[in-house]
Amino acid sequence: MRLAWRNIAYDRGRFLGTVLGVSFAVFLMVFQGSLLTGFLNAASRLIDASDSDIWITARGVQAFEFGTPLESHVREMAAGVPGVTGTQRVCVSFAVYRTPFGKQQVVALVGADPDVGRRFPVPNVSGSSAEISADAVLYDVSDRKEIQVTGLPAEVEINRRRASIEREIHGYGAFLGVPFLFTSYRNAVRYMDFEPGAATYVLVRVQEGFPVSQVRQNLQRRLPEFDVLTREQFAAKSRWYWTMKTGAGGAILTAAALAFLIGLVVVSQTIYANTLENIEEYATLKALGAGQTFVAKVVVVQALICGGVGGLIGLLIVFPSIAFTRSLIPWVHAPWWMPALMVIPTLLMCSLASIASVRKALTVEPGRVFRA
Amino acid sequence: MPDRFLGVESAGVCFGNGDARVIALRDVSVAFSRGKLSLVMGPSGSGKTTLLSLLGCLLTPDQGAVFVDGVEVSGLTEAEKTATRQRKLSFVFQAFRLLHSLTALENVELGFEIRNAAAEEDRSRLARDLLSQFGLGEKLHRAPDKLSPGEKQRVAMARALAGDPPILLADEPTASLDAEAGANICNILRDQADRHGRTVVVVSHDPRWRDFADSTITLADGRLREIV
Repeated sequence: MRLAWRNIAYDRGRFLGTVLGVSFAVFLMVFQGSLLTGFLNAASRLIDASDSDIWITARGVQAFEFGTPLESHVREMAAGVPGVTGTQRVCVSFAVYRTPFGKQQVVALVGADPDVGRRFPVPNVSGSSAEISADAVLYDVSDRKEIQVTGLPAEVEINRRRASIEREIHGYGAFLGVPFLFTSYRNAVRYMDFEPGAATYVLVRVQEGFPVSQVRQNLQRRLPEFDVLTREQFAAKSRWYWTMKTGAGGAILTAAALAFLIGLVVVSQTIYANTLENIEEYATLKALGAGQTFVAKVVVVQALICGGVGGLIGLLIVFPSIAFTRSLIPWVHAPWWMPALMVIPTLLMCSLASIASVRKALTVEPGRVFRA
Repeated sequence: MPDRFLGVESAGVCFGNGDARVIALRDVSVAFSRGKLSLVMGPSGSGKTTLLSLLGCLLTPDQGAVFVDGVEVSGLTEAEKTATRQRKLSFVFQAFRLLHSLTALENVELGFEIRNAAAEEDRSRLARDLLSQFGLGEKLHRAPDKLSPGEKQRVAMARALAGDPPILLADEPTASLDAEAGANICNILRDQADRHGRTVVVVSHDPRWRDFADSTITLADGRLREIV
């Protein structure tokens, strides 16, 4: 398909315009895709960080951040169900935080039993426990500005009680615009004024050999006034709430769709203009005996070249941009498969963009070649 | 009609409807001999180009029949007509119709590619040979807009001959050329009939062609006026 390449190279200005349009579209799609992926990850990050199989929540809890307290008997009842090998408690609540400089602000305080999960940020498991106390408070490095801690340990107040911030962690930054603080379950219930043994969530580990779905059903029968969900179900519910019910995901998806449409319009306009400009040449090709496939290929390959080059440039620009954005929005995440995934909408965009042009080139009457 | 190698039989072609209706050809029957150079002459609007379009499978007659290489083609599908053009016909145009983004060599290579003629690795060599035969060996990599009109027409001629098609249809091939370049083209086409046995049909109102043609067909008002 040398002709396709040469047609593109012949009109470099137009090619550049198309490539810029595609680059812009791919940039926006990847950027929005990274926002969405990061948003989805962040929406269920703490649920995913637990090692438990099942989460018990108050009826109708939509997302991790909005749980309401469960009484201590819930945990006891859950522990008695066959197949349950262990239970842990997690509590979460918004709290008033006073910085070492006296400034007051709202934070989301999370407390958990020490064995809730290896990745779950609680004092005993998130680092060397020898260096910090069991009731230490942790915060994410990306929230340093809001937390206003200049050195560790730092004495602060949570709900008017003294607290000691002792460690910075990574990867659990503010998702709602409200910083998270993490501490032990024992410490958290003290700040939150929970009843003894109460928790926002009761997490259940299932004994090996018992099907998780079966144990979940048994738990639900035993605790009919609560929601009993597998970890994956609760994570999905939380993600669904943040992306769909708040409209945030819809906004991101709309922006990605608009980026696709922008690319589509730019490529189709350029390829169509190029086809019209070369319509006599398509007539000549047909008169010389070129089949429909040959003619269509010339047009489609031009669109795909524009898509390929534009897509590559878009990707080259977007990843440094995402890295920079991470300093402002820490949960932005561009997974490794995002560039590969972008091939599909880019090819689709270019193929759709060439439909009108292909039709034009295929329907041109070869007899017009005799018109001087 | 004695020879059905190439020609039309009782062919009629109309364009437009109602008051705008124009009869381009009326009941024309003409046969072109194999391996000869035939000239079609006539004033503007006489139906010369319409006749050439019929022979080139670019137009379907409203009535009558068209024969190409002994096959009646007016009833063929578009795909079959394309295949006929690919295998048996080639064209030389007044406006050259070279592809502007390709070099002279690439234009001729494209002729081979479209006709699926010769192995892919041989096409470049064969295209070079053809262009060299027409005195363009030094201008293989020139873009069409860097060639003179005479050179462009010789490139177009080389492209038309790529793949060795048996029939060559030329529409006013010398109309855009000066006397010398025109004579050169006349000689090349004459040579195609004499040395290569190609059937050449030239549509022109350039009287110089009479000296090169084996027969001359004259059309007027869409009717066959004379065959000499």
